[in-house]
Amino acid sequence: MSTGPEATTGTGRGSSRDLLRRDAQIRLKRRVLLVGFIFAVLAGLLGWRLVQLQIMEPDRYLERGLAQRIRTVALPAVRGAIVDRNGVDLALSVPRNSVVANPSLIADPTAAAMALTGILNTDIEVLESRLSSDRSFVYLERQVEDEIAEMAMALDLSGIYTQPERARLRPGDGSALALLGRTDIDNNGISGLELVFDDLLSGTDGEMIVEAGLGGSTIPGGEYRVEAADQGRTLVLTIDRALQFEAERLLAEGVTAAGGKGGVLVAMSPTTGEVLASATVSRGDDGIVRPSTEHRVATWTFEPGSIMKPLTMSAVLETGTAAVDTTRDVPSSVFVHDADFTDSFPHGTEEWSVADILRQSSNVGTILWAQDLGEEALYRQLLDFGLGSATELGFPGEANGILLPVGKWSGTSLPTIAIGQGVSASPIQMITAFSTLANNGLRPIPTLVRGSLDDEGVFAPLGVGEQVEVIPAGIARSVVEMMEAVVSDGTGKRGQVPGYRVAGKTGTAWKPLDKGGYGEDKDEIRYVASFAGFLPAEAPEIVILVVVDEPARSTYSGGRAAAPIFADYAQFAVRQLRIPSEFERTGLDQVGRVMATTPAREMSILAAEEAALSGIG
Amino acid sequence: MTAVVRPAGRGQVHTAPKTRTDAKPRFVATTRPALGAMGALTIFGFFVALLAMASLHSVLVNGQFEFDSLHDRLEYGQERSQVLREEVARLESPSRILAAATGRLGMMPPPNRLYLPSVVPGDPLRPLPPPAANPFSLRVR
Repeated sequence: MSTGPEATTGTGRGSSRDLLRRDAQIRLKRRVLLVGFIFAVLAGLLGWRLVQLQIMEPDRYLERGLAQRIRTVALPAVRGAIVDRNGVDLALSVPRNSVVANPSLIADPTAAAMALTGILNTDIEVLESRLSSDRSFVYLERQVEDEIAEMAMALDLSGIYTQPERARLRPGDGSALALLGRTDIDNNGISGLELVFDDLLSGTDGEMIVEAGLGGSTIPGGEYRVEAADQGRTLVLTIDRALQFEAERLLAEGVTAAGGKGGVLVAMSPTTGEVLASATVSRGDDGIVRPSTEHRVATWTFEPGSIMKPLTMSAVLETGTAAVDTTRDVPSSVFVHDADFTDSFPHGTEEWSVADILRQSSNVGTILWAQDLGEEALYRQLLDFGLGSATELGFPGEANGILLPVGKWSGTSLPTIAIGQGVSASPIQMITAFSTLANNGLRPIPTLVRGSLDDEGVFAPLGVGEQVEVIPAGIARSVVEMMEAVVSDGTGKRGQVPGYRVAGKTGTAWKPLDKGGYGEDKDEIRYVASFAGFLPAEAPEIVILVVVDEPARSTYSGGRAAAPIFADYAQFAVRQLRIPSEFERTGLDQVGRVMATTPAREMSILAAEEAALSGIG
Repeated sequence: MTAVVRPAGRGQVHTAPKTRTDAKPRFVATTRPALGAMGALTIFGFFVALLAMASLHSVLVNGQFEFDSLHDRLEYGQERSQVLREEVARLESPSRILAAATGRLGMMPPPNRLYLPSVVPGDPLRPLPPPAANPFSLRVR
């Protein structure tokens, strides 16, 4: 385009062209101005929007953007396992799937329910009702086996999903169930040790904050924060799985053989107070004896009967009322206050020592010495042994037992309490008392828990209280020697264990009736048979208490109903715990012979060595 | 309006021609080779940098993908170990062994039991090794 000066100075036809051109230029200018104005307005609008977004309300869109990208993933804490003293799992949480549904996405609830009912263990009516619900989320069945979840998903029904959860399982089935307790479906402890140590087992949930794209994949370099879950600690119990199982098995067999209503067997380490096994069985409505869901070792009380006599005699010896070999005339019956007390076997007036009285479990002899001892001394001694108040076990529903203060005693309280009637105690109280005798007079603190492990495997022992001296060691040894005679030559012969010196005491108590009293005629009287003992008597390593509730009349005594269970169980326990017999102990002196051990025992030995070394240091 | 572009040799100094009154003014656009090369290099460098950034981003995305995948595998491994742990405990449980012995295998309890002595020449059992750090712990990552 040329722009010479002549183009603007024409006349005639040229002038009209110029006019046209000027008009065109003016129109063009207007258009340009108009377009420019439109663009300016648009730019202004955009600018205004930018000001709105970036300055006036930046947070709103920032939040919306973040909400689209930032995901918060819950990291649920896994409930800690419960393991036995050797680290064997007794209860643990494992991943399981729950079958869930969104009913709003299900077109035909009836058809879906019919398809699922063959797979899930839920009634078709229940399924149909849940699938017809107005809610957007329902559980169809929780924590099912993987195969069942896969089968349900294989149906390819719209609106049916699986949701990962954790189920609490006990690999040993019903073994130690009463002790371990239960959790609810959401893994909260509701009974037993699951309840007592719920806080420790539960842990604390964590969360992961991550910036993710459309497909859920993490945006590199984006937000990524992890607050790891504080996993529940693993609870290490004092019980031994094998000892526990055998306790339940032998007790069930023994109670069945004795025709009993139920029974209790508890084993304890006398030096530490650790409960090695704690079994409770009861006869069901079908007549079969099986492990009970109630931990009666701690929650049940019974009148101990003659197994109380060693405690009474320990008070007699400690107060200097008599010595082991002090003799006195013992008739076959004695009248106290308003009642006659007789021995369970007929005899004339005999001159028996304290040891003889205990060996033959003479009620009359024990009552006579208790009268010399006095009410207050007997009461104090029983209190010191731990009767009348719950132990330090801390188990839910633990019984206190009944030991009335002396002020409330009647004229017959002293003789009855001296022989174990008119007083009630829980099995854990009685085995703690016998452990005191086995532990040179020091009362151990009963415990079911050794400590806990964190998820790195670091062990933290559970603090236990100091042992209390109840009787001097010499008195305890004297009582143990008398109890040895009970097993070797007295009422507890069926409690003998080949190769081992056993100290024990039988008990045959009358059981109080619901209507009060013990019953008048023979058919009405109910018994509780028991045997408490420990071995090896010269250095006790395990104390065992067996109680058979309401044995049949043919085997009602502790010597017949409970002592055989004790013997069978003790034979197994000494092998399981690697407790050498007398012969084997002698063999240990020979070069090249060593004691077989268990991991738990080895750890105890190492701990003892470390304690000794630190003591020297 | 015309423009004459004169090619210039490398390193040559260009000066505007002296003004002559009889000649029409001529606009001479000149390019400086060093600046051109620098511009070209800059553009080249810019694209190379873009390419490098894209490559690095790709590496980063791959790394993140691998990290996510490892995290998933870790979670799966943890869950699987729990399942297997439960299975081992169940298989080793005395109740299952007793049931299998007396049921499937048809074994009978002996009338008498003979226990082997617990004192043996040489102890085959060793104490448990000290607990190792949990390889699946999220805390160590």
